[in-house]
Amino acid sequence: MIKAGQIDKGTALLIKGQPFVCIDREFVNPGKGSAFVRLKLKSPSTGQVLAETMKSQDNAEDITVEDMDFQYQYNDGESFHFMNVDTFDDVPVPMTSFQDYQYIMKEGETYRCTVYNDEILDIQVPSKVVFTVAEAEDAIKGDTVTGATKYVTTETGLKVRVPIFIKQGEKIRINTETKEYLERVNS
Amino acid sequence: MDFDLVKARSLLYRNVRNFFDEKGYLEVETPILSPTLIPEPTIEDFATEFTNEFRASRQLYMVPSPEIFMKRILAEGSPSIYQISKCFRNAEQIGHLHNPEFTMLEYYTVGYDEKDSIALTEEMFCKTAIPGCPDGLKGGFEVVSMADALKKATGLDLEAIQDYATLRKQAVNLGLAIDPSVREGWDDTFNRIFVAFVEPALTGSRPVCLTGYPAQIECLAENDGMTKKRWELYWDGVEIANCYAEETDPLKVRDCFRKEYAALSAARSVSGSVIPDVDDKYWEIFRTFPKCSGVAIGMDRLLMTECKKKSIGDLILFPVSDIL
Repeated sequence: MIKAGQIDKGTALLIKGQPFVCIDREFVNPGKGSAFVRLKLKSPSTGQVLAETMKSQDNAEDITVEDMDFQYQYNDGESFHFMNVDTFDDVPVPMTSFQDYQYIMKEGETYRCTVYNDEILDIQVPSKVVFTVAEAEDAIKGDTVTGATKYVTTETGLKVRVPIFIKQGEKIRINTETKEYLERVNS
Repeated sequence: MDFDLVKARSLLYRNVRNFFDEKGYLEVETPILSPTLIPEPTIEDFATEFTNEFRASRQLYMVPSPEIFMKRILAEGSPSIYQISKCFRNAEQIGHLHNPEFTMLEYYTVGYDEKDSIALTEEMFCKTAIPGCPDGLKGGFEVVSMADALKKATGLDLEAIQDYATLRKQAVNLGLAIDPSVREGWDDTFNRIFVAFVEPALTGSRPVCLTGYPAQIECLAENDGMTKKRWELYWDGVEIANCYAEETDPLKVRDCFRKEYAALSAARSVSGSVIPDVDDKYWEIFRTFPKCSGVAIGMDRLLMTECKKKSIGDLILFPVSDIL
């Protein structure tokens, strides 16, 4: 058991027997009131998001999780398929739970995952990742406006707005949380 | 360091001082270190010690608000007063709305009740706003009662949940996960509903004045049937101000102190946190205490909202969050 005030982003909890991961938490002290915490919890198996309000002193059932490496293989439209790099077992993860990662994860890449009872609860994607530009429109000739941008598509299918000087085949660094272009990477 | 934000704070303080000076309020300065505090079970305190080689040492506390001293000034027969001062609250979680040290504007208007303070505060907000302040202020304050806000957010009738058993049942019906073994007061269970449903709905761009807090939430505001003559101001979902028609009855103040101190010391003898000394004669100043209304405003939060920032850490130079 832990106190609700100890729950942080990424803390795994058991709610009515189901594992949930905290994806957001906010502290609230109503005037002349006890301390509270507002939590957003996500079920990795169903993608369901719960909003819970607890007093900071309330007990919550935390669960012991493990961090393990998994190699991302492919998605079949419903699940992401990961391979346990030690046992070579295929571990499917419903795409609805991590829709955000569909165009971020690279096939063949290894990701650190939070695991409970052989189930992947969380995928730890680095906050900045380098991608290769797979498709880029040509910059419009004569367009010299400072700050002008265009869209490109990365090898993972992510569409991102970049400065017009970025060309196909170049490498760019992306903030994976905001999906925004950060810089060109010289290889 | 963003010097535009440093300038914004300086300008807001200047505007606020001009506003109250023009209205004839007296600016006062009261101590940060106090030998006693007003007992407030939900506010944890910072304690320190005065030491001197030749005298007995003395425990002192850093004030969580200047109220304890400002009320003594009023009882001495002062005109309306205001102060901008540092306040300290321990053990609060560090977040985008909390820093253990923060700045409060507190003003007391002699002869006013809480309704008069709404008009005064609205005028003050409008006249002191810094350039670029959100447009929502142009429409003035929206005044909403707790009973109406509760009804709208949950369908519950404040009058119908006055007894604890009904309140608890309704909280569980609303889907709140309260461990059946948890024993708590009416105020705590009500606040669970408030924090989960009512407060998140107070997000309008116009400042919302939430009036008529339940009387079960203990404080030094006058009673008005089943509610207190108290309001809080929310702007853009952020709680910015708290106001009372101040309790003036010495015996009611004495009883409130005793009740709150009992609750505070019971809780803290378990948790081990600071139990501040309380002046058990403080209530006597209320024999000469005038009818008045007091308002406390979190200046870091007000600035944050006026500057359209999302964290008070953006407005506070060297916030504690930087070192934790």
